[in-house]
Amino acid sequence: MGVNAGDVDEEQRTDGRVPGAYVRQHSDTPAAVRHTILGDLREVIAEMKQSRDLVQQLALRDIRIRYKQAALGFIWALVIPAAVVLAGMAVRVAVAYASGRHIDMAQLGGMAIKAVPWAFFVGCLSSGTASLVSNMSLVTKIYFPREVLPLSAVLAQSFDSLIGGLFVAILLPFLGVTASLQLVWLPVLLLLLWCFALGTALFLSRANLFFRDVKYLVQVFLTFGIFVTPVILDAPMFGPVGSRIMMLNPVAPILEGLRLSVVLHHNLLQPLNAPAGFLFWRPWYLAYVTTWALGGLLLSVVLFHRAERRFAEVA
Amino acid sequence: MRESRLIFDRVWKKFHRGEIHDSLRDLIPAMARKLTGRAPSKAELQSGDFWAVRDLSFEVGPGQTLGIIGPNGSGKSTTLKLLTRIYEPSRGHCSITGRVGALIEVSAGFHGDLTGRENVFLQGAIMGMRSKDITRKFDEIVEFSGISDFIDTQVKRYSSGMNARLGFSIAAHLEPDVLIIDEVLAVGDMSFQERAFGRIRELAQSGIPVVMVSHQLDRIAELCTDVIVLNRGEVMARGTPSDAISAYVQQHDAGRAAIVSDLISFDPVEIVSDMPVRSGETFDVRISGRVMEPMGETIEPLAIRVRSLRTGGIVYSSGSRRLSLDLGQPGPFDVHVTLQANLPAGSYMVEVGAQDMLKRKDFATAPSVMVRVSEGIGFKGSVQLNADMKVLSRSGASAH
Repeated sequence: MGVNAGDVDEEQRTDGRVPGAYVRQHSDTPAAVRHTILGDLREVIAEMKQSRDLVQQLALRDIRIRYKQAALGFIWALVIPAAVVLAGMAVRVAVAYASGRHIDMAQLGGMAIKAVPWAFFVGCLSSGTASLVSNMSLVTKIYFPREVLPLSAVLAQSFDSLIGGLFVAILLPFLGVTASLQLVWLPVLLLLLWCFALGTALFLSRANLFFRDVKYLVQVFLTFGIFVTPVILDAPMFGPVGSRIMMLNPVAPILEGLRLSVVLHHNLLQPLNAPAGFLFWRPWYLAYVTTWALGGLLLSVVLFHRAERRFAEVA
Repeated sequence: MRESRLIFDRVWKKFHRGEIHDSLRDLIPAMARKLTGRAPSKAELQSGDFWAVRDLSFEVGPGQTLGIIGPNGSGKSTTLKLLTRIYEPSRGHCSITGRVGALIEVSAGFHGDLTGRENVFLQGAIMGMRSKDITRKFDEIVEFSGISDFIDTQVKRYSSGMNARLGFSIAAHLEPDVLIIDEVLAVGDMSFQERAFGRIRELAQSGIPVVMVSHQLDRIAELCTDVIVLNRGEVMARGTPSDAISAYVQQHDAGRAAIVSDLISFDPVEIVSDMPVRSGETFDVRISGRVMEPMGETIEPLAIRVRSLRTGGIVYSSGSRRLSLDLGQPGPFDVHVTLQANLPAGSYMVEVGAQDMLKRKDFATAPSVMVRVSEGIGFKGSVQLNADMKVLSRSGASAH
């Protein structure tokens, strides 16, 4: 038989894309016929399962590179959160002096617990956005599911933040923060943050590949984001209207939720008034954040997966 | 499990000449066109677009090895990238059944700051190997690469040869169902190239479908069962290795086939003997044609050359004048040439033409033919010197 004009039998042509990295089929059949959101998701999950060793190796690479030839090694994982806390203290002192009030240790604890998740989010944003473009030589030469690149960037960042988180966990009792039942919110909120960060990384890495402007946009956010997110200051300090606007930022309710539940032992299913008297925490913030985190992740995964095949050509 | 197979069914691939603008400023007009339904179809050519691959079809099943050859920019690598799913076809359909092993860019995933050991795991994972498989084969991989002393050294300290050797060794241990090879045969020094080629031959002969791209035509001739010649994205010739390679060499070799003259014309050169020729034995070539005008002293009417496809160099050159044959007078001619293949095993092209000896240039040529020389009486090297060994005396041997 050999190399003749291939007469492919109809069965092989219509069985569609088989999930998995190695058994594959691709064609120019119109997108509407092939793609359903659920089908895409199943495909991505199957590919991720097959590529778990690759994800692990890439994350390991990112972690190793970061700490190789660095004299301080893993201590660097603490530097950004520590810088956030120190900057926060400076701002707090200034605010306290201007308003004539004292700062207390609980405020410091609230800041420390927000600093690490914020550093995590910022790190995911910068390394996630760059993940596709900086691995371009791989993307244009070797096939593998491209989702692994932003995913491993987020995982490497998670490792860093885990070190920072452990450090904060040791620190918190000394800042007068005690344990309570409300600690159950901690894993919930961190999971939401993780999903939101992954979704954002997927979305931005893809966008950055097609439009290099995105990188600059992200840089602007990395520089000024801390002013529109309650990290150094708490949201209620911006007043009733200001705090409501600030809480529209999907990261804000997560960070404030962490502070309220861990430091102030507040049950997030209950509304809470700010010290100034206005209603500050609204339980539906949780639903709002969940929608952003899971909906955003779903949307980003599907968009990423559908654009994936054009990556090598755009790059 | 379905049998492994590669299928390329009427595949077209479009590329854009010039720069693609990728900033947000261009997105908005494009989106507006999309909304109003005036977006151009991706299967049609727009201004500045061209077809990198046009209407290419092939099918490779178990036991088959397809070679793709052609000049630079003819669409070979694009074809492989379509096969390995890096690119998506603009039209048509391609599929692979089975686990793909690609010997392409074998060290692309290396990171200079990581050690050889760490990079083996990283590159292996990028190529689709499981970590436990890499662990199992790790010693074999390092052994094959021959750089075990440096396996815990950072790769940025490696020479480019060491880099390529380690990369190839990883790829060579993939255990694929389908193999795709892109010009990786020129890796490392001579001895490693032999080892690498041996490994590829082993994989190809294990019965899995193979597609390979190479400029080393003798390797193609040795390994492939079918060959496609691409030119500007289109199939120029396809068929058995010798037919396709002959067609390619004629078209490619400075437009040789195109040279026709008013003085002399040639019919296609014929190999009369059975192929392949065993090294050291003779083979016969028949050259016929017609001399139209009488030719002067400075012209060699019938120059014959043998070119090695391994090196691309001429290994033998002679002609009718040098062999004291007078062909200068007008009229038809039919010449029989007997050549002794004192050559190492490999593939050779027999080129025939009429030469202007002052300009050292052919002004007319015949379509060339390929000769395969197979392993003959034991010798290695580039020339058969017909060594004759005799024992004259020997000390220390027991005498009866």
